[in-house]
Amino acid sequence: MPSRRQTAFVHPKFAVVGHPNKGKSSIVSALAMDDSVQISDTPGTTTKKRSFPLKVDGEILYELFDTPGFQRARRVLAWLEQHDVSADKKYEVVQMFINEHKNDPKFNDEVELLEPIMNGAGIIYVVDGSKPYGEEYEAEMEILRWTGQPSMALINHIDESDYSEEWKRALGHYFKMVRTFNPMNTSLEQHVSILESMAQLKEEWTAPVKESIILFEKYHDQMLERSSAVITKLLYRSVSLVEKLTFHGEDATEDEKNSVEENYKERLRELERSTQKTIETIWNHDHLQKEEQSLPLDGMDLFSEQTASVFGLSRKELLVTAAASGAATGAGVDLFFGGTTLLLGTGLGAVIGGAGAFFAFNELSEVKVLGQTLGKRYLEMGPMENRNFPYILLGRVIYHTTKVANRSHALRGMAEFAMDNSFKDKWLNDDLRKSLEKYHRKFRSGKEIEAEELAQYEELIKEVLKHLTNV
Amino acid sequence: MNLKSYLDLFELLEVDTSSREERRAFGLVNIVTQSRPVEQLSAWVRENRVKLKKPELSETFSSTLYSTTLIISIVAFFLGFISGVGLLSYSGHEPVNIIYFIAMVVFLPLFTMALTLFSMFRVNSTQSMLVHISPAFWMEKILRLLPNKIEDNLKEVKINPLLANWIVIKRSQIIALAFSLGLLFALLGVVATQDIAFAWSTTLSITPESFHSFLQTLAFPWRDLYPSALPSVELIEQSQYFRLGDKLSDEMIQNASKLGEWWKFLAFATLFYAIILRFVVYLLTEFGLNRAIKKSFLTLDGAQKLLNDMNELIISTHANENEQQLIQRHTAYDQMLNSLDASYDIVQGWAILKESLSVIADSMKVISPKFFEVGGGNTLDEDMEIIHHSQGEVLLYVKSWEPPTMDFIDYLEALIKRVDKVIVCPVGTIEDAYKTEAREVNVWARKLSILGSEKVWLRVSSVKTLSREALNAES
Repeated sequence: MPSRRQTAFVHPKFAVVGHPNKGKSSIVSALAMDDSVQISDTPGTTTKKRSFPLKVDGEILYELFDTPGFQRARRVLAWLEQHDVSADKKYEVVQMFINEHKNDPKFNDEVELLEPIMNGAGIIYVVDGSKPYGEEYEAEMEILRWTGQPSMALINHIDESDYSEEWKRALGHYFKMVRTFNPMNTSLEQHVSILESMAQLKEEWTAPVKESIILFEKYHDQMLERSSAVITKLLYRSVSLVEKLTFHGEDATEDEKNSVEENYKERLRELERSTQKTIETIWNHDHLQKEEQSLPLDGMDLFSEQTASVFGLSRKELLVTAAASGAATGAGVDLFFGGTTLLLGTGLGAVIGGAGAFFAFNELSEVKVLGQTLGKRYLEMGPMENRNFPYILLGRVIYHTTKVANRSHALRGMAEFAMDNSFKDKWLNDDLRKSLEKYHRKFRSGKEIEAEELAQYEELIKEVLKHLTNV
Repeated sequence: MNLKSYLDLFELLEVDTSSREERRAFGLVNIVTQSRPVEQLSAWVRENRVKLKKPELSETFSSTLYSTTLIISIVAFFLGFISGVGLLSYSGHEPVNIIYFIAMVVFLPLFTMALTLFSMFRVNSTQSMLVHISPAFWMEKILRLLPNKIEDNLKEVKINPLLANWIVIKRSQIIALAFSLGLLFALLGVVATQDIAFAWSTTLSITPESFHSFLQTLAFPWRDLYPSALPSVELIEQSQYFRLGDKLSDEMIQNASKLGEWWKFLAFATLFYAIILRFVVYLLTEFGLNRAIKKSFLTLDGAQKLLNDMNELIISTHANENEQQLIQRHTAYDQMLNSLDASYDIVQGWAILKESLSVIADSMKVISPKFFEVGGGNTLDEDMEIIHHSQGEVLLYVKSWEPPTMDFIDYLEALIKRVDKVIVCPVGTIEDAYKTEAREVNVWARKLSILGSEKVWLRVSSVKTLSREALNAES
């Protein structure tokens, strides 16, 4: 079996260890950006060690371990101290303890937390800086010292009181590095700062962890880009959305009108809901529970019209076609007369063709060819004519994204997303409004939007998100 | 890169269920195409084509489009042929006026090609007038009147307007080309089977010289290569025809054999203006369509995400395995005390220093002859020694914020073997005047309920208000 020294440097590993209920899982949750970690005030929630690798294309750059808390630290230390060995052999005694108690349920938690350390993981010892220091921690810290692995301490603040100074004095005796970290309120800057500290634990780990930091920042950028892309898609789809309902009578009934309006609104709301869900997934907040108002559409002036089509063409399209055909015929007459008609034929042809189509539109829509009616009467709602709507929708989705992006993965409570009026001032200024309006007009027009234009819109959104998130 | 691969990508994006890892794996294998997204998408289509259900949508669409275009082209060819024969029909009484034919093979193609070029510039507009008047546009409408089965298949195809316009423009050129070929064949056929006297006639006062110069301009592409395909001034003079008078002029009759020479000019004009130029425009539309397909590749719903999945590093930080869900069985702990007695046989503090213990007891008006610190910095032997000297009722203070560990439970189990009663009394910090939080006491209650000893009681002390952060953590 390879020794610990031989297998230690595959990739840096870090075991987050400590007393029960001191926020180990919260710290792992925040550092690994994983909101699926069970966090509870009941001691012993974590019963097995869990690995959280930072993987890039399947290759592990570093690995975090969430571990159970110490349960019988004094007994373990007493067992270790029975072996009078020199400092360089102490880690072997710890390994002996693991080997001997691997199947002993009494020391399950200690074995689980010591195993990754003995497999080469650096130690991140977590304490709660909002509660006073106590002697009972010393047995734990002494055991960790026996492992001989590089270590650092993280002072977590579960509550508002602050006993950091006494903790720092005590921890300084056991750990070469002591840092403060609040997993409930993290930013990329703090996150990177902790990673940088971890990189200093061992010389061989510096390069891979530094590389991880760069990739980590890239990961954040990737999340911003993906969020911008889905927001752009939401805006484009919502503004250009058209809801149609075919009806058979002369005029649509009130029920039919209400039905098309309700369908239209529901589709808009569904687009927003699915976008929010995608954004939560992008930011690894799949388990987010939230309270949020749905898209307010009542009282908004939504565009609606009763129209028909012939040959699948709208009245406008048919008018254009007929006018053009008339003009072409008229142009033939002009050509025949060698231009002496001063394009009168073209003009007249266009007018006659267009007028014919305009007045005959309703009749044409009743004509049957090959057993199929050429025309259809329908109610149409959309594209969104309300100029304010894109900004309302954009404001809401940007607010949601900002909240999700800035939310710590260690938080488990219900998230309240209640946007106030002042939020608009944080992201929308006159210049941005002008830039956005250009695209909103295009979205409304129903014209095909080119990939480059969508990319430009995405870039605008990304800049806004960058500014608003603490990234 | 063609319409088929566009439609295959469209269909694949609808049916594909590949994971992000599979897409990234493809991106890494085809890393050379990373900077060329369209090529990368095409390669992905080739790799995944097997996933498409049969018959492929692209095949149905292409074959329908092909057959419709072929039918309309054949019709256009015959229309061209009949028009040509009609324009060149020669009764023997009057010569054939070449002006009509020139208008048909030179001016009409130039006019429609100009319209085509204009529509190519306006191709982004979904309601392009010029696209709507094209016969090819109506092909789509004809498709809708086809039997339902085909229509249902094609309903699934959502081609973006840009691409649809280019398809119409390109197909229009094919139809126009077929019409022009019909005209050329009609000319050659009529010339080969009849002896036609061509003439020119106009109401406008145009001299033969200026008409010659006009024709010379029209014939600039071939006049140097085939001089005989450009009518001479003499021929133009001889073939000018005036409708006044019942008979043909004598000069015309004398030069009847020469009047047929016009056919070469007409053939070259047809070949160049109606066919070669149209073919050039067709190539332009082919180029435009290919560019539109490339652009449309990137605007297809899901294409951008696919590219991102293929080209972006997969960075993951989450756990490999799901965590085993902790099932908490909360049984109510009924051995609770609301107040303490005035004295106890022994007062112990779990990881609480002896000096602090007497302060805590004093603040709670409890007296005892013995105070011991247990756990904490003590060795196990020291604890056993204290247990050995314990008896009667023990008041055991614990730090409310520290959750009970198994070390504590081991101690308590050993203690209750020696004493009559143990009152576990959680206390808060001195700053909080030893007040505890309800959730902290609950944690202790849950732990003691596991022990299930009648000797162990829990004292519920006064509770302080929870902070917002603590509430959040608790929830």
